[in-house]
Amino acid sequence: MSENVRKKVVIDLEESEKAQLGGLSELNRIDASGILSVNNVSERSRIWNAKVLLGGTRDATDISIDTLTAGEIDVGGKWYTKYSVDVEAPLISLKEVYNTCGTIETEDPHWAYVIGKENPVKITLSITNETDGEISNIILNKTIPHELSNLEIVSAKSGIAEYDEGTRQVVWKDFVIYPRESSSLIISATGLVEDKNPRKSGDVIITYRAEGQQRSILNPELTALTEFLTGIETAETEPNQWQCTLECSNESDLIVRLENAVIYLTPEGGGEKQIMIEESPGIELEPDQEWTSSFEVESKSTPKCTQDLVYTPVRTVTKRVLGSIEKTPQEIPVYSIDYSKTFDPPSVSSFDKTPVEVTIEVTNNGSARLNEITIEDNLPDDVMPPTSEHITVWIKGEEYTGPYEFVINPDDQDPEKPHKMTFRVEDLSKSGGELEPGESLKINYAVMAWRNRPEKEYPSPITCIANTEPAGIPLVIASPEDGHKLGVIYKKRAISTKKAINKGVGAGEYIVVLVVANNGEVTAENIEITDWIPAGFEYVSTDPEDDAPDVLSVTDGSQMVWTWTRMNPGDKKKIRVTVQGEGEYERREPVVSSI
Amino acid sequence: MYFGRTSFALEYNETTILLNPGIWDGESVVPNDFSARIVIATNQSDDAVGNAATIAVDSKAWFLGNQGTVNKVSEQGAKPWLLHVLQPEIPYEIPDVKITPYSLSRIDEGEGGRIENLGLYIEIGDMKVGYLGDSVVRGPFEQLDMDVLIVPVGGDGVFPVKDAVSLCIDAKPRIGIPMRWSSEEDPKKFSKYVQQFGQGTVPVIMQPNQVLEAYWAAGNEFRYELN
Repeated sequence: MSENVRKKVVIDLEESEKAQLGGLSELNRIDASGILSVNNVSERSRIWNAKVLLGGTRDATDISIDTLTAGEIDVGGKWYTKYSVDVEAPLISLKEVYNTCGTIETEDPHWAYVIGKENPVKITLSITNETDGEISNIILNKTIPHELSNLEIVSAKSGIAEYDEGTRQVVWKDFVIYPRESSSLIISATGLVEDKNPRKSGDVIITYRAEGQQRSILNPELTALTEFLTGIETAETEPNQWQCTLECSNESDLIVRLENAVIYLTPEGGGEKQIMIEESPGIELEPDQEWTSSFEVESKSTPKCTQDLVYTPVRTVTKRVLGSIEKTPQEIPVYSIDYSKTFDPPSVSSFDKTPVEVTIEVTNNGSARLNEITIEDNLPDDVMPPTSEHITVWIKGEEYTGPYEFVINPDDQDPEKPHKMTFRVEDLSKSGGELEPGESLKINYAVMAWRNRPEKEYPSPITCIANTEPAGIPLVIASPEDGHKLGVIYKKRAISTKKAINKGVGAGEYIVVLVVANNGEVTAENIEITDWIPAGFEYVSTDPEDDAPDVLSVTDGSQMVWTWTRMNPGDKKKIRVTVQGEGEYERREPVVSSI
Repeated sequence: MYFGRTSFALEYNETTILLNPGIWDGESVVPNDFSARIVIATNQSDDAVGNAATIAVDSKAWFLGNQGTVNKVSEQGAKPWLLHVLQPEIPYEIPDVKITPYSLSRIDEGEGGRIENLGLYIEIGDMKVGYLGDSVVRGPFEQLDMDVLIVPVGGDGVFPVKDAVSLCIDAKPRIGIPMRWSSEEDPKKFSKYVQQFGQGTVPVIMQPNQVLEAYWAAGNEFRYELN
């Protein structure tokens, strides 16, 4: 402390601010207060009648009067008062960006964990000095949540940052921030959560000191008295000529400023006092320093003088701001989905064509909002897919008419090929709102099971993908490759053929009667019946005519071939074929095939 | 014109063919005073025959059906000279109309087993209409060239929706009309599935007393209007 300071009364303004930030670094609350103290640094002189003059500078504080009375302050003593200050923001701004997916660059940070996956977390802590003074003594403590591991200090623009695994604290300190400048700390870690409960990002506490700064606009002045010697010497220089001298001496060890000095003379004959000296020297007197001022006057008797002096110990003002900011941990939700897929009916009859309703419901069973959902559904062969316009979508239980994408690959309805269908809805935030926890997205479409074979399996695996806004690591859940099998109920096929060879009316004429019946439980398709006509005989006609066969020559006669596209259970056909020739009509059994 | 259930009237010029004027829950679907030139019941159940005898007598219409159905209508008072037994695959023809019956069947839910039901292939004017009546099998209808196919969808002894749709997919008529539904969902599903998988067939759900007018514009462009 310099000698000058020691000699001046110290008025100290120590103000503090305490700010509370929300999870996203928004300012929730700030309180500021201060202590104004008058410190008599003298080693031998008390001060008294001390008053602190604030005037209009007390605005923005809760001090209600312009002048504070400090009274008498002994050597080395102190008088103080407390006050509060209205402020809108702290001297520094603190911002934490907790990005749950630091490997994907986006304008806004990712704010949710993907369940069951390694989340590449990136934490950026930024401090900006919003003042024209220096900020020092900065200490920042960041609590690291338990779900983070592999923590690394990526960079610290200034100072030293260290991670203490025992306390799970990152401490950043030993630096100052110059006026209007910023500093930042970047931390990386791996986040892993296995359940859907929201997590906390860990709190941040920063303390700092702004020397020479204040939050109020207080500019205190001091008036006080201390040990100060004054007097008027009257000396006759010639007959009836007098010299009057005002003499002042600073008897304290404080610097005293003489503000005003006035000498009044009482006339010999009476009457009003006359001002003989009126000065505002404004001089600051060092300890034991003197100050004089004189005038001459003619008088037969010793002049009668009186004095009026204003002086005060000189004050100096010291000030600082001690600050702290506490940031509430950000809530980090977890995104998680579940799905269900159903066939209605769950099983179809073999060799039949059956419309099947496919309903897939994706439920947000996590704690984060979802902005996009993708469903990849795989249809096996022997299933005719829908057309892209025949899909119904519900979101939050209501039919959704907003934009979505539904792609069928290959883009046809060929039931002999497997198809992959991709449904995607994006930007839900812009079209009806994101999928909140507990809400679901449901799609429905119909497919046509197409002559499915009972010995074959028809898996229809599904993959569901969800993401947030902005999109980070996609959450993928999938069924097994052989999951969601379309059941096939075996229905017995039974095509019976009966044959009779009857003599016709004419010579060598035979009537071959064929009765073909579908006695099974399922429709038969592409039925082919082949019957043989022995050599020496020729096909003549068929009753009914519409069922005339194709007749093909073979080495030992000819073959009659009938082809029918379909026979339902219970269908029966009776065909009478007239043949004519010579010789014995040998019997062979007809051959039937179908699918 | 659709009356509800399985009852339709096909009209061309001055000829009206009434199909299956059944009685359901004791109520006639078609009013007794309906005037037709031909009345057909595709099987002998009450939900097909209904008040056919009364209508045929009052409007002096021909009644057509299989032997059992004709017998039943005769017992109900239809004049013998107005009765005509339809034989499977033997057409019945009058000017502007050719009706070819096919022997199909329905399940007798009361007695069990099956009873014969005639599926009708009706060429009326320049339209070809397939009418399956109360059928649980399709017979040769998948091979017939049809402009309009009328199929049951209720599954109560007749086609369920899936078989009706399957027939439309295979037969590819220009228009598929569901009838005899058991629930309001049946025709909706029929329509939905035919629309998706019918590949050229337009599903049309008719409500009672609605009229569907189908015609060939300029002789070669099929059009229809549903009032």
